Amino acid sequence: MADLIALHDLVKVYPPNVLAVDEVSVSFRKGEIHSIVGENGAGKSTLMKLLYGLVPFDSGRIEFEGESLRFREPGEAIAHGIGMVHQEIELISQYRVWENVVLGAEPVRAFGRLDKTRAVEAVRGKIEEFQFNLDPLARVDAISVAARQKVEILKLLYRNVSVLILDEPTAVLTPQEIPQLFAELKRLRDGGHTILFISHRLDEVLALSDRITVMRKGRTVATVAASGTGKEALAEMMVGRQVIFTSRRREHPRGKVVFEARNLSRVRADGLRLLDEVSFRVHAGEIVGIAGVEGNGQFELVNAVMGLAEPSGGSVHVEGRDLTALSILERRKLVSFVSQDRGGMGASLQASILDDAIMTHHRLDGRFTFWHGLVLDYRAARDFVDRLAARFSVQMASRSSEFRSLSGGNQQKLILGRELLLPTPFFLMDQPTRGLDVGSIEYVHGEILAMRDADRAVLLVSADLEELFLVTDRILVMHRGKIAADLATEGTTVEEVGRYMLEGKAAS
Amino acid sequence: MNVLIGLITGMISGATPILLAALGGALTFYAGVFNIAMEGMMLMAAFFAVLGSFLFHSWLAGLAFAILGSLALAAIFIFFSVKLKTDEFVTGIALNLFALGTTTYLLRQIFKVKGVFTSKAIVPVPAIHIPYVENIPFLGPIVSGRNLIVYLAALATIACTYLVFRTRYGLRLRAAGYNAASLDSSGVLASRIRTQSLLACAVLCGLGGAFLSLGYVTLFAENMTAGRGWISLAAVILVDGHPVGIAIISLLFGFFDGLGLFLQNYRVAPQFTAMVPYIATLAALYVYARRGRGRRGMKL
Amino acid sequence: MSRKLWSGVVGVAVALAVGGLIMLLQGYEPVSAYGALFQLSLAGAGPLATTLKNSVPLILTGLSASVAFASGPINLGQPGQLVFGALAATLVGIYLPLPAGLAVPLLLAAGIAGGALWSGVAAFLRQAFGMSEFIVTLMLNMIADFFTAWAIAYPFMDRKAFSPMTLPIAGGGWMPDLGPLSASVLVMLAAAAIVWFVFRRWRAGYEWRMTGQNSVFARLGGCDIDRNFWAIMLVTGALAGLAGALVVMGGPHRFIKGLGANYAWDGIMIAIMANNGILGTIVYGVFIAAIQTGALGMELITNVPSEIAQVLEAVLVLVIVATREYANVFLDRMAARRQAKGRSA
Repeated sequence: MADLIALHDLVKVYPPNVLAVDEVSVSFRKGEIHSIVGENGAGKSTLMKLLYGLVPFDSGRIEFEGESLRFREPGEAIAHGIGMVHQEIELISQYRVWENVVLGAEPVRAFGRLDKTRAVEAVRGKIEEFQFNLDPLARVDAISVAARQKVEILKLLYRNVSVLILDEPTAVLTPQEIPQLFAELKRLRDGGHTILFISHRLDEVLALSDRITVMRKGRTVATVAASGTGKEALAEMMVGRQVIFTSRRREHPRGKVVFEARNLSRVRADGLRLLDEVSFRVHAGEIVGIAGVEGNGQFELVNAVMGLAEPSGGSVHVEGRDLTALSILERRKLVSFVSQDRGGMGASLQASILDDAIMTHHRLDGRFTFWHGLVLDYRAARDFVDRLAARFSVQMASRSSEFRSLSGGNQQKLILGRELLLPTPFFLMDQPTRGLDVGSIEYVHGEILAMRDADRAVLLVSADLEELFLVTDRILVMHRGKIAADLATEGTTVEEVGRYMLEGKAAS
Repeated sequence: MNVLIGLITGMISGATPILLAALGGALTFYAGVFNIAMEGMMLMAAFFAVLGSFLFHSWLAGLAFAILGSLALAAIFIFFSVKLKTDEFVTGIALNLFALGTTTYLLRQIFKVKGVFTSKAIVPVPAIHIPYVENIPFLGPIVSGRNLIVYLAALATIACTYLVFRTRYGLRLRAAGYNAASLDSSGVLASRIRTQSLLACAVLCGLGGAFLSLGYVTLFAENMTAGRGWISLAAVILVDGHPVGIAIISLLFGFFDGLGLFLQNYRVAPQFTAMVPYIATLAALYVYARRGRGRRGMKL
Repeated sequence: MSRKLWSGVVGVAVALAVGGLIMLLQGYEPVSAYGALFQLSLAGAGPLATTLKNSVPLILTGLSASVAFASGPINLGQPGQLVFGALAATLVGIYLPLPAGLAVPLLLAAGIAGGALWSGVAAFLRQAFGMSEFIVTLMLNMIADFFTAWAIAYPFMDRKAFSPMTLPIAGGGWMPDLGPLSASVLVMLAAAAIVWFVFRRWRAGYEWRMTGQNSVFARLGGCDIDRNFWAIMLVTGALAGLAGALVVMGGPHRFIKGLGANYAWDGIMIAIMANNGILGTIVYGVFIAAIQTGALGMELITNVPSEIAQVLEAVLVLVIVATREYANVFLDRMAARRQAKGRSA
């Protein structure tokens, strides 16, 4: 098979000095499923964005069917038959499926009038041709995440692309939906399409691909046939050293109940039950995980615990105190919180590292202020930050540099350190390792286990089943606002958890 | 009876500049632009309308100049906020002040007066009398005999409604506001749509400004837009941009404007009557806030 | 630090160039015009003192806007808060004549209270009904304008005057001069120092800054967003009201028509130029005051209309902000390009 696409010595530097892609050369054949693997930050997404024209490359060459090309915007790539489905699904949630699919290539009548009938028919035709299970008239915000992903793929197929680039598509799917997607991708490949599949999940990549290219720190390490390699070999190429896949969790007796949710409910204005009588407990010395496809109530649970939103019913207790009656500040005496969104809920990106580090401590710790809390004691604050940085190995230029100058891993370590140093019995973590490199992920997991060994109670919300199985003692599955299952980690499997994620209580 | 007709025609006159500016604002709102420069665009238009009409003794020249003046401001907005990616809020505020400074300066420089300029040489935009219609009792004097720009405003309302909700362009326009990244990946650049919406807004504000200085009066006064651009912004937000909703809100404000003048007959001090439209805006904002509406990035 | 300076320098250079171009097109000579402008505003104790005095309302309203914008609330109501403060100070000054030692602090307090009252209305409407303070403060500006216009034309009008204005305030309330310098400059500097200290050293100021940068983060961190909102609105309203009081006490000593002029909108622009920084607000405030002060004299000498100052200011703010934001992008891109060249060499 001839090379359809060939990348030669591509270089991309993100301003000011982040070398994302470092002289990468790789080629893709027509009619193959080719995966690109690497840990977070290896450059795989960036490489595909260079190909697609979303981001301009600094030097190198791209050849498409032997012709040297440079796409200046995605529209040009699409015109040449190359389409990309992003990790963050970018659909217009207020529009219907057909509107999203035809946007930019709409059939029209006189005076620019949109021809709705023809559009819906064309979309329906494509749905049937590729055997997707979609209703063209449904509103996008009413369909499942997996369905929305199909709409993104359909958008590209409607434009007759022959090369499909998929960026971490399985991150948003349950274990059951993944084989379905893979079956569809294989069908597309058999029909002559080329699939470029970006992922860091090695089991999936081995099950799906024909060939695999491994990237590390912006360079390609190797391109191998999927049938000729295995998970350990790929992992070692990805990280540069041996990676441990087994859990470091040791036996630890659990203590009294620290956290309890009792019949927690949150009903939306239109009647939808975002949280539906959620009840569970977390003990001291225990790590409880919450699994579930994003959008099944995890966000609302976090908000209810933290006090960002009021529940419609039920209550949340920490050490016996009812949080729903307390202000956020009062809650922070009992709850530490690490969010998935470092720049969103966890810190202010433009603030100095010092300013971000003392948040909450500035209120709860009298050592930080003079005159009954009126004036800040910056010397005490500086000492605190130095201690924090040393204890949690945060690499930073200076205390007054902007928080966003830190790498993702260091940012999360700083936030983690800040929250850990609050004298709280309960720790809530929401996707704390999302987007981090393997080294940082291992570090965070180590800290979580240390918390447990120190008899704190940890609630870990995560979409990464592998992480949950590595770290937790129990796993609860959320489905449509309910707790669908409460499983002991040692006694369950990824498949079983996946079934509950997909079907809820019906799976039992 | 004549009082009622007077009130209604007064309402239409008061509504027209707000309607035009708000339609322009709606288009940029749909496209996802945080555009607060309507005030400045209208003010530029009002001045240049008088300039064009004065120089060429033609209202058509006045309209053309008005639109050009407004487009000049929009061009600066586009250069800074779309090309250089300067914050839209800051750009809007700076442009409003730029318009104020420029028109006041040019008023001094060209017409050699401070405060107000008026002259017999300024040709106003004519009123249109529709034969047959004008003879219909009650409705006739209302529908016929209005200024040309009023009819243009009505047409613009219909055209905008059709454009936004029925055409392919409208689908893309709204998409730019809902999710620019999504539109970009569909092969249509959101930044291009936003630029176009700003240009369209300028044209509409051009007509609105021209109406102020060549419509029911023929003069230019410093800062004569007097906050109407802000009211039109409020109108856009209150109805989430829908052109028909904007028309209704504009008529409401026009009514309060006329009411203000009316109350002067009852020995209410003119300053209080002048406050009425702004208090009405507050009241409308109260209703809006109570119903908890709001969409699209307009972070207010 | 240097990027702020750089964007300021470029901004000033471009603005002066544009102004010079406009002057040339009108047939004036830019160099001598600018020379006159800066000589009349900065050369010598007298002009400098006048410039500083004129900078007082600009800097105070600029600080009001800076603190508000940097902390979250979009308070655009300085024009209305200023005239309310001015009216309050005027009325107290007329009807409660006291000796200077007591009158001056009292009138300043009245101005502060007047401004805070008006911003308090906006804060109330936001907290009680969820009405966006962005639009509310703008509407309240217009309402305040009309209200004060009515007040000086009807109930508080000086019947002997030819145009609407109040009676003069009692002598005790007049701002004294210390040599050529007006004491209002000292009041302004004191207020600026207090604002700096609160904003950068107090715990409240820390919370305000964090809230302005990321309100969810601040909320989750335990900051009381509602209480801080009230505090910020009242403090910034007070600053604008103080500006109004000083305008009356240091200027016409009565409330005349058009008292507020364009001070508050200029102040808002200054805050934007300074990117909401306190020191920057003071520097730009003095600079704009110099342009405005000098422009009047420049007109007498060179016939260039003083309104060109407004055009200069608008160009200045646009170019400064654009340069500041673009400079970062530009310099980063240059660094990136250098690194990329290094790789493929």
